Amino acid sequence: MKVGLFIPCYINQLYPQVGKATIELLERLQVEVIYPSGQTCCGQPMANSGYEYESVGTCNNFVENFKGFDYIVTPSGSCAYHVKKHYDIIPQTDAVTKVRNTIYELCDFLVNVLEVKNVGARFPYKVGIHKSCHGLRGLRLGSCSEKVTEPYSHIGTLLKEVLGTEIIELSRKDECCGFGGTFAVTEEAISVKMGKDRIQDHLNNGAEVITATDTSCLMHLEGLVTRNKQPLKIRHIAEILNSVVD
Amino acid sequence: MSHSKAATIFNKDENKVNWHDKALWFVRHKRDKSVHTVKGWEELRNLGHGIKAHTLSNLDNYLIQFEENAKKNGVQVHWAVDGEEHNKIVHQILKAHQAKKVVKSKSMLTEECHLNPYLEADGIEVIDSDLGERIVQLAKEPPSHIVLPAIHKTKEEVDALFQEHLGTKPCNGDPQYLTGEARKHLREKFIQADAAITGVNFAIADTGGIVVCTNEGNADMGAHLAPVHIACMGVEKLIPKQTHLGVFLRLLARSATGQHITTYSSHFKKPLKGSEMHIVIVDNGRTEQLSRPDFRASLHCIRCGACMNTCPIYRRSGGHSYDATIPGPIGSILSPGKDLKKHSSLPFASTLCGSCSDVCPVKIDIHSQLYKWRQLITKETPQPIIKKTSMKMMGNLFSKPLQFEKVGKVARWSLRNLPKGVINSKPNVWGKERDLPLGPTESFDEWYKKRKKNE
Amino acid sequence: MSSRDHILSRIKAHKPEFIEEPVITLELFMDWKHVKTEFTMKVEIAGGQVFEATSNQNVTEQVSAMFPESKVNFSTLKGTDGFNTINLDAINKPHDLEDLDILILESGLGVAENGAVWIKDSQLPMRVLPFITKHLVVVLRKDAIVTFMHQAYRKLSCDQTDFGVFISGPSKTADIEQSLVIGAHGALSMSVFLV
Repeated sequence: MKVGLFIPCYINQLYPQVGKATIELLERLQVEVIYPSGQTCCGQPMANSGYEYESVGTCNNFVENFKGFDYIVTPSGSCAYHVKKHYDIIPQTDAVTKVRNTIYELCDFLVNVLEVKNVGARFPYKVGIHKSCHGLRGLRLGSCSEKVTEPYSHIGTLLKEVLGTEIIELSRKDECCGFGGTFAVTEEAISVKMGKDRIQDHLNNGAEVITATDTSCLMHLEGLVTRNKQPLKIRHIAEILNSVVD
Repeated sequence: MSHSKAATIFNKDENKVNWHDKALWFVRHKRDKSVHTVKGWEELRNLGHGIKAHTLSNLDNYLIQFEENAKKNGVQVHWAVDGEEHNKIVHQILKAHQAKKVVKSKSMLTEECHLNPYLEADGIEVIDSDLGERIVQLAKEPPSHIVLPAIHKTKEEVDALFQEHLGTKPCNGDPQYLTGEARKHLREKFIQADAAITGVNFAIADTGGIVVCTNEGNADMGAHLAPVHIACMGVEKLIPKQTHLGVFLRLLARSATGQHITTYSSHFKKPLKGSEMHIVIVDNGRTEQLSRPDFRASLHCIRCGACMNTCPIYRRSGGHSYDATIPGPIGSILSPGKDLKKHSSLPFASTLCGSCSDVCPVKIDIHSQLYKWRQLITKETPQPIIKKTSMKMMGNLFSKPLQFEKVGKVARWSLRNLPKGVINSKPNVWGKERDLPLGPTESFDEWYKKRKKNE
Repeated sequence: MSSRDHILSRIKAHKPEFIEEPVITLELFMDWKHVKTEFTMKVEIAGGQVFEATSNQNVTEQVSAMFPESKVNFSTLKGTDGFNTINLDAINKPHDLEDLDILILESGLGVAENGAVWIKDSQLPMRVLPFITKHLVVVLRKDAIVTFMHQAYRKLSCDQTDFGVFISGPSKTADIEQSLVIGAHGALSMSVFLV
């Protein structure tokens, strides 16, 4: 199994530790991971802002870099969703179709392809899961509170097995954090309010750490937590799953 | 005013935002509780979607069948291409009956057509009889929600409004007392009315009948007492068969308020002996929306308001911030079809979280349509030059990996070394209330390359 | 071109390719809940009450005991003329019914999943009655309760009703700050008697 690792642009530049944790975790699980060096971004920042046509070059660059792998894994539900859902703007060559069909968000890949639950991690904290929307309602990485389905959650499945972690329940299980790409800036007032409300829900229910499948949501929440000096740590799920037992 | 500007103003009063958010989340919560007791709920949504899609694909024939049956039932059927014609038709009917006092039950269509001011200009009194609608009518405001028109008003505000207009006693906003007073006030209006106007929830092709759903009983009080009943409907209200109501009445109230059905689901087929019944069928932009493959599913909407209750942006910005007849997510995909320029900020008033699409009882892909409107808006309406250029630059940057790495390096250095005051200065909207991450010394890319070398 | 033809021709030109009508498979919804228990619970959730009665006479006796203060009463039940205080034939216009305290009607169809009862023209001397009355009482046979709305509409499909209404509980509103208030424009209370 040859796995190509996609590290989203903002993780590459601002949160390299998330990329490192992802690669180390996958290697620990005996996966052969390659990080193609010509990668940049999935194209989402332009597309969600209404400039899909400016993202064509980015999409092509993505496909060029990842067409040769059995699976593409990324620590971002949002990017995986974008490739799956919106890469219909470029001609649907075999390479494009393959890339769209084989891209996986990290937890999804662990639970459904590798079929592992316990990755041997230890993380002795009370953790609140922020269910990032594109992963949740786009990729269906878990049951959604709006729908009448059996409850499940890939990130929850993995986190449950982590030694010492106590998952806290939230009052609003899967409300959006308000990041939303350029929304965070163009609708600043609401974006900030949504983020503050999410954080308060975690605090009210005793979380020490907030985790998620997406660093973009976490960057927004961390920005607020830091500014308001709130007693919370922000960790991407890859970082928790890579906290090896000492 | 753009949505974000209106939302910023709404957010100046954080307590009110919290109150508004909680009130609507409570309705969403009631909806959840109710739908989780229904076995096959998701299948029911599929059916709702399927029947509506089928109807639209044969809409002309169903409308003809509906008209034929309605006429057989003794109902007079009128057609209006736009709001203006709709208003004229209603006005003509009222004039023919010398109707000066009209009671109206909830109809978003008549809001859309601005019927009230049109009739009032000719000295006709139009009383909105739904309590929430009456409240906003007295306050001279448009409804802020399609099911809960006065959800933005506190009980104290209603108290003050009723004291001023209905002469009620101060009551600290006691809902029981205020509702009782409204009942008395509107009872009088029902008894005196020369004509009743109602909306239509469903129009049924195979019977020629219409169904109107209310909790208050106001549509029935109006329609059964007045000598003329005028029902106004958009072309998309049609369903092929009466048996299809089995699907839609199971979906509607549960999605709207969490009730298992509205108190009254009234099936009007033939007029009362000695009375008249009219149905006005309105286009007003709907056939245009039908012509757009990406957006025609927005015509499936059964106006339950669930997408508003679940929308984290709607809850925190209020219905008026959308400056459109139908606010919230569904309004944001309908309104651009009517006036792209005026409503160009609405599809951006979303994080594309997708909750709206998942609560929608007829499975409209609302968030996908928001995304698609964005693509059109940037091409067809003037965009700020800075947004346009930065998107182009970003597109270029991400197509060229080497350049991307260089720019990244500069950005990380700046985040590490510039003083916070500079980073969070005015042009950086992000930094107004949020910190930016501390720029790491090396990117993942650099780390990976080093690691490779050392292997 | 008339507006009618204009609209129809535009729809014809713009509508999508024909999409088949979906088939409703009732089995998907069967939840095997007990029909009478479910019906009773749903009427109560809707703000109404459910009672049992042995005969029409027994209904009016119970109703009179429930509302000892009532002055203006009307019932369509057979053999309950003694209960009626008004003669509908003497009423010129429905507006004169404003003071009606209690109305007793018969229904031939109830729905378990939502506590609704079907009232149709032929059971209704005047359409406005169930809305204008202060208290609404409906008598329903236990074996006339169906599980879901789907079955209800199957029963109604061959029915030639000019006007009919599903009623579930008393009139209500939550338009002031989401506080539920029973008694908006229609009935202030609703009681269903199962016989």
